[in-house]
Amino acid sequence: MRHWMFSCKKIIGMISESMDRKLPLTQRMGIRFHLMMCTLCTRYQKQLFFIQKILRSGRKVSEQDEVDFGLSEEGRKRIEKYLNENTGEGKQ
Amino acid sequence: MPANSDTTKRIDPLVWLDKYGDALYGYARVRVRDGFIAEDLVQETLLAAYRSRQKFTGQSTVATWLTGILKHKISDYYRKLKPEFSDDSMDEYQHSTDHLFNEKEKWKIKPGDWAGDPKNIYEGKELLGVIHACLGDMPEKLSTAFTLREMEGATTAELCELFQTGKNNCWVILYRARMLLRRCLEVNWFGAKG
Repeated sequence: MRHWMFSCKKIIGMISESMDRKLPLTQRMGIRFHLMMCTLCTRYQKQLFFIQKILRSGRKVSEQDEVDFGLSEEGRKRIEKYLNENTGEGKQ
Repeated sequence: MPANSDTTKRIDPLVWLDKYGDALYGYARVRVRDGFIAEDLVQETLLAAYRSRQKFTGQSTVATWLTGILKHKISDYYRKLKPEFSDDSMDEYQHSTDHLFNEKEKWKIKPGDWAGDPKNIYEGKELLGVIHACLGDMPEKLSTAFTLREMEGATTAELCELFQTGKNNCWVILYRARMLLRRCLEVNWFGAKG
């Protein structure tokens, strides 16, 4: 087996890594060569891209609907109380 | 918040809370899964800032200074989190994939054909809901890393800083997250046999 031939298991690790950084040429060639012959890994890669696309396009929807990015009024009160209780002696 | 000016002068943390509370909370909120924990982290940050206020040189802005402290608090949180897996060993990297492959490292549990599935259309919130549920079932470190990477555009370097770990571990964390999420969607959205 030549050095640029990788197993499916290695390839999917490399596919993920290629989404986070630029891989060395040998590895990029290895992925390309492997995908030419392997339907399952090709499928896997497409599915990862699909998930990425959905997440990026859905970014706005989810932020507005599901997560509140400001402190709640109660949260603010709790912190205020906590700070008042814990910074007492230190005040100048 | 109607903090009177007297209070304002004496206790700085309340001014910080008023001015930067939301920004700090927002920063923490995308980095930990639980809103209450995010709140705690902001609280601890403000207290720590108050206690070390002499060290603040004024070379950076207060916002930057506070964010720096918060970053450490978040890293501490992840360090203390009971490890759901050890990311310090590459063995885990092997382990997470083992059951999907045979001894020749070929697929044993084959990826399904999503393209042929009518559900492979962007069904907006419904599909996103499943994705979020899947992320919610993952170890927090994995889902946070993945969410920050894909939704906040964080770089590997930022993730390494957050988790106080090396680049290889960050790639492994992301790899595992993608692997688990893909499989979770296959089972829960595309209806493959678990």
